Amino acid sequence: MHADIARIDLRLRRRSILWFAGGLAFYAFILVAMYPSVRSDSSLGDLTANNPTVGALLGVNGSLTSPTGWVNGNLYANFLPLMILLLTIGYGASCIAGQSEDGTLGLVAALPVSRRRLVLEKSAVLALIALPVAVVTMAFILLGRHYDLTLPTSAVVGTTVAVLVMGVDFGLVALIIGVLTGSRGMALGLASGLAAASYLVSSLAPVIGWARTVRPASLFYWAVGSDQLTAGPSSTAWAVLLISALVLNGLAVVLVQRLDIR
Amino acid sequence: MASTVIQTHALTRSFGPRRGIVDVDLAVEPGQIFGFLGPNGAGKSTTIRILMGLYHASSGSARVLGLDPFADAVEVHRRTGYLPGELAVYPRLTGRQVLDRFASVRGLRGTRYRDQLVERFGAEVDRPTQTLSKGNKQKLGLVLAFMHRPELLVLDEPTSGLDPLLQLEFATLLQETTAAGRTVFLSSHDLDEVQRVVHRLAIIREGRIVVTDTVEGLRRHAPRTVELTFDHDVDASALDRVDAVQASAWTDPGHLRLTVAGPMAPVLRAIAPLDPVDLFARPADLDELFLGYYRSTDLQEA
Repeated sequence: MHADIARIDLRLRRRSILWFAGGLAFYAFILVAMYPSVRSDSSLGDLTANNPTVGALLGVNGSLTSPTGWVNGNLYANFLPLMILLLTIGYGASCIAGQSEDGTLGLVAALPVSRRRLVLEKSAVLALIALPVAVVTMAFILLGRHYDLTLPTSAVVGTTVAVLVMGVDFGLVALIIGVLTGSRGMALGLASGLAAASYLVSSLAPVIGWARTVRPASLFYWAVGSDQLTAGPSSTAWAVLLISALVLNGLAVVLVQRLDIR
Repeated sequence: MASTVIQTHALTRSFGPRRGIVDVDLAVEPGQIFGFLGPNGAGKSTTIRILMGLYHASSGSARVLGLDPFADAVEVHRRTGYLPGELAVYPRLTGRQVLDRFASVRGLRGTRYRDQLVERFGAEVDRPTQTLSKGNKQKLGLVLAFMHRPELLVLDEPTSGLDPLLQLEFATLLQETTAAGRTVFLSSHDLDEVQRVVHRLAIIREGRIVVTDTVEGLRRHAPRTVELTFDHDVDASALDRVDAVQASAWTDPGHLRLTVAGPMAPVLRAIAPLDPVDLFARPADLDELFLGYYRSTDLQEA
């Protein structure tokens, strides 16, 4: 199996993947390099330590100037998932619905490749397009120990992978909406809306009662919403994120097999 | 190889309020070039997409190479070359990159035949496809369809955008393809092009097959025109009673035009007593016949 369809899609997104990875690597480096200057700033630390609402909005539990608070509040609770979701939801919306709209899918679907394999290759691309961004970000955060920013390696690796899996989950949601509606734009909009709702529920749960009630339905919560940078994602979190991916992938296979392709 | 390469029975696809295709029956034999004719929106592409396993049928059955085009899509696609009606290829890739990747999916090792096709059609393969003209994209599509020497070629409007010289080259390629025992199913709305290359054809109109026949068979049934000139008044009512005469009309005083579909001898016997001073007969006009089928509301099977 050469995964040629995946290779075509990856090639078409090669530049954006590199630019995203380069941009986020630079951002992560700045974040790490700034840490020695802010770690002893008590007023900045108190901003979230003494105000749970601000802490919730930033995705920080405790002081903003603690290693976990600094990395969560500036990267893992918001910016890293956002960048990964931009890539995965964008690709998820375009890989079936978008390619069907522009007519390229018809030629590919007439190749001797089963629709199941077509979806599996698209799902693999979802993970692969976000992988460089996740890996370079993680690498710079792990280099933080040379800048007094020390975090448990296993927790950083685990949380990074969890964010990546969450990105794949939302990418599959976009793919499925695209198959159901036949519209790339609608898939992009609805999947982004669901991701934004998931983020809000996860981040506001500490201060809003109803958000706390529905928090288990938020993939953000399981990926980055419960201090994962300290102890890593829980086994429940892994189960939710991975089972979601499997179920969504299975659903995508069923729906694409029923799809009329132009 | 299956005895019948394409076989459909009562194939129907509806799109809610939009018309699709209704009770389409087709039979394409091995080694044939089968033309599928019809005006725009008649249902040609819908039928082709069902044959390629891209669309589901609402009812009826279809077999391609003896296989179910949807359930056995991988095998059908492996043995078939397909050119879609509205060819769209990845705009940022060059033609060569598309050819390489698709050849890899098909497990093609050698590129000699592919390169011959590229040269033969003068396909531009080193520029991003988004910079190519419609004709150049079509050339690339033809190479993609033919490059693996498939048993069956399903080509939707294959000559669209090709100049006359390339259309001739394409016709030659079709002859070579069927000479090698392979089969071609092609759609078109260009009557002139199809009658030059196909062995058998079907005409589809408003989703239904209105006629299936060979070109010669159609020509035999096509109406001929006979124009008579008289220098005296005649009573032409006897001509209307001849079975082969479909219609008669005075185009101007002294000039009578007959539309004849059938044997000519009874017509000539009926004409002789009228003593015309001149007679002019035009051969069957397939264009007229096709346009008649396009317009006709009466469905028939020849």
